[in-house]
Amino acid sequence: MFSIPIIPIILIIPIIGIFFVLFSVDVKNFSTAKMSALWTSIINFLISLYIPINFDKNVPHFQFVNSFSWFNNDNLKFAVGVDGISLPFVILSTFLIPLCIYFMWDSKKKKIKLYLSSFLLIETFLIGAFCAIDLFSFYIFFESILIPMYLIVGVWGGTRRIYSAYKFFLYTLLGSVLMLIAIIFLYQEFGTTEIPKILNFSLPFYIQIWLWLAFFSSFAVKIPMWPFHTWLPDAHVEAPTEGSVILAAILLKLGGYGFIRFNLSILPDASIFFTPFIFFLSVVAVIYTSFIALVQKDMKKLIAYSSVAHMGFVTIGIFSANVQGIHGAILQMISHGLISAALFFSIGSIYNRYNTKDIGFFGGLINIMPKFAVFFLIFSLGSIGFPGSSGFIGEFLTLLAVFSKNTLVACLASLGIILAAAYMLKLYKKVFLGEINNNILSIKDDLKTNEILVFTLLGALIILIGIKPNLLLNFSTTSIERIVTLYPISIF
Amino acid sequence: MIITPEIFLSISVLILLLIGPFIKKKGHTIIGYMSLILLVLSQFFIFKNTFQFKEILNGFFVIDSFGSFMKCLVLIGSSIIVFMFISINKDENLNKIEFPILIILSVIGMMFMVSANDILSLFLSMELQSLALYILVSFSRNEINSSEAGVKYFVIGSISTCIFLFGASLIYGFFGSTNFLDISRILSQTKDIPLFLIIGVVFVLVSLSLKLSAAPFHMWTPDVYQGSPTLITALLSVVPKVAAFAVVIRFLVSPFGEINVDWGKIIIILSITSMLVGSFAALFQSDLKRLFAYSTINHVGFMLMGLVPGTEDGIIAISIYLILYLIMNLGVFLVILNLRIDGINVSSIKDLSGYFSSSPFMAVCMAVFVFSMAGIPPLSGFLGKLIILNVAIDNNLFYLAVIGVLTSVVAAFYYLRIVKLMFFDSPKEELDKDVNFETKVLLSTLAILNVTILFYPKFFLDLSASITFSLFAIN
Repeated sequence: MFSIPIIPIILIIPIIGIFFVLFSVDVKNFSTAKMSALWTSIINFLISLYIPINFDKNVPHFQFVNSFSWFNNDNLKFAVGVDGISLPFVILSTFLIPLCIYFMWDSKKKKIKLYLSSFLLIETFLIGAFCAIDLFSFYIFFESILIPMYLIVGVWGGTRRIYSAYKFFLYTLLGSVLMLIAIIFLYQEFGTTEIPKILNFSLPFYIQIWLWLAFFSSFAVKIPMWPFHTWLPDAHVEAPTEGSVILAAILLKLGGYGFIRFNLSILPDASIFFTPFIFFLSVVAVIYTSFIALVQKDMKKLIAYSSVAHMGFVTIGIFSANVQGIHGAILQMISHGLISAALFFSIGSIYNRYNTKDIGFFGGLINIMPKFAVFFLIFSLGSIGFPGSSGFIGEFLTLLAVFSKNTLVACLASLGIILAAAYMLKLYKKVFLGEINNNILSIKDDLKTNEILVFTLLGALIILIGIKPNLLLNFSTTSIERIVTLYPISIF
Repeated sequence: MIITPEIFLSISVLILLLIGPFIKKKGHTIIGYMSLILLVLSQFFIFKNTFQFKEILNGFFVIDSFGSFMKCLVLIGSSIIVFMFISINKDENLNKIEFPILIILSVIGMMFMVSANDILSLFLSMELQSLALYILVSFSRNEINSSEAGVKYFVIGSISTCIFLFGASLIYGFFGSTNFLDISRILSQTKDIPLFLIIGVVFVLVSLSLKLSAAPFHMWTPDVYQGSPTLITALLSVVPKVAAFAVVIRFLVSPFGEINVDWGKIIIILSITSMLVGSFAALFQSDLKRLFAYSTINHVGFMLMGLVPGTEDGIIAISIYLILYLIMNLGVFLVILNLRIDGINVSSIKDLSGYFSSSPFMAVCMAVFVFSMAGIPPLSGFLGKLIILNVAIDNNLFYLAVIGVLTSVVAAFYYLRIVKLMFFDSPKEELDKDVNFETKVLLSTLAILNVTILFYPKFFLDLSASITFSLFAIN
């Protein structure tokens, strides 16, 4: 079949968009720059839809593969391609970037051209990281994201932005340099870094352990797992709304994606060895961070801690290492991508109006912003994992998978759902219900058009995936089955 | 004529020196342009006889592709410096005809250094190079800092000379010859290596590490960098380093390749200390030139990592790293040269605050260079790190690789600090905005190179692979 190089195209389009943004001439509020950024990202989303439409669901291997010679020997290449595991994340990335740009349409940010360029740059790097099927290409894209994200948190963030930006950058860098060493080691050992080829090799157990830890240090910081999560609340609270959305919705997923792609697939023996360790950390994350979320006074911090808890389900699902578990993990990641994006957008809407994220400031907001209250309820229920929303499917599948492996973990993790209900409903009650707080009477307007559009899209998708999860799951089934069949049978 | 570039440069620089005083108006600019032309022309002389191996003048010098490559790097670096001198320099103290001439003299020294094939010729050319640099460092003689730097550099340089001579005499005592090829031949037939020979090698290595500014022999670097005129700091941080690396590589690999195990340990120690000092000591520097002095030490440590196994791959990696280092460092110093408040050059790190608001182009370029130095992909600095680490891991030097990446995380902190000042902080004192066209062209070229090299490294990889084999062919 003749194929167009679809992935290089969607990698390049945002870069071209950056030139349009930088060289757009504007007198006042930079509408041309915003317009070009928005259209670039929308076009990129539409083009990226080519992938799921032409994707062959019965093939477990990588599709749409393009590789370019890179170094002067044939073993190192820039190679991109998608399989069922990376496809949902690619679409999630291309889908959320236009929403971010559209959401900030009215904002009067300083240095707006740099802001828009950073987002387009992040889009390229994200797609690259999810599509890379060569370890070095993956590392390059994975690490590159730090630069624009550092700028986004540092330039447009809140009061403690500098501390948070440093913390974010150095934590992530520290985690990932060890992965670099592991990648180079794999290259030396196998003479190639293409993931499909590496899957055919196997390593002695004691080497796998070290490599596993190196990869783990990178992804555990990224996803983040307890106790490596401390950069996340800081970065989330200080980042601008759109930055938080990208961070929570897509960047964290790189960690989970990496666990599936590298730790589980390439180093299966070590993965079995470390499964109890992962389960322990995940259960602690689910319960401990949920309790922390319960007492937060800052809305963004609450959502940030809830992210850590939700990611705990993801790691449990991944290391259950059966089809339901990985399905659940991927679905949970996508659904968390949508829900946390929606929640951060909502908090952004509140913050744009009242300039505060303090929960105590609000009360009875439903009387002033009824439409917003409806949307927020949908998102909160999604975050709780209410049946009918996408969150339910992810958590249900995960728990189902781990129940067969380890009943205790399943029972403990299910506590997380109850706790999630506690903190989300508490948040909803304090902000939207109850007596009207006099603080909020100063502003009377409900949602604007662009906000309604963004929220409708996100809400519709959350419910759609909740009702018909097969839309998503079908893509990844065969790829997951391949990983699971290669996985040795666990003794735990 | 085989040694043309050096002879050509030597004769023409003497002519320049003769005609210099007779030019009445703007003598330094005219001489500057002429020196630039000379440097570029001698580049072509090198291309003429690149791929051959020849001993000349009784084995005093050798012409091979490795030397030619390093000479090219030296010439490119110094011509960019001379170009900056002509077009960008605003410091009246430097506007003298001697300035470009001295640069060329030290370049001649370095070119001889690179092709030296005998301990004596190596010594003589190192002296020629250093003597010209001592004058250049103290060139703005009205400033106390510059004179201090000059004295410091001179004293340290003399000590380095003494140590070198002592080591060289020990080596001569064993071999009865100073020629590298003789040494290599005799060494390969020797069974037991006496201790005093190792001591001799160590002494020479110490002297060379003083030139390289590898820790723990780095003490002079920050002071000299800070004191000398910025243009000379730019020169010092790039060009003599390239030459010194070439000498270290040639000295260790060519005659002493047999005793790799012995000098490898010393290089490991030098590498680890340099990386530690270069990353930790730079954390709290407040002067940009000082900061980049430590950053140089860090880079030197990283490059030395590639030398430890003494293999061809390692030398290839170092050559690539040197190219990238040249590109990054010249870019950084080009920006520092343009930091002025009311026409006066400043170099305090605080002066960078809010640089993005006042001149976004310069700030973005600086950010590119700095991120590249930190080794963050997709910038070219990452390529250098990647290749060096590849060599280290290939030779099972895991602990060295781990120390390397961990110190590079520490180093990332101070590079980030520069970005933070430029992008996050609000401006305190307005820096001058006037940047001339030449600067912009040069800066954008360097920045674009920094962004793109990682995506097309083939050219440099092939180049370095083709130059290094001459080092190993003779053994």
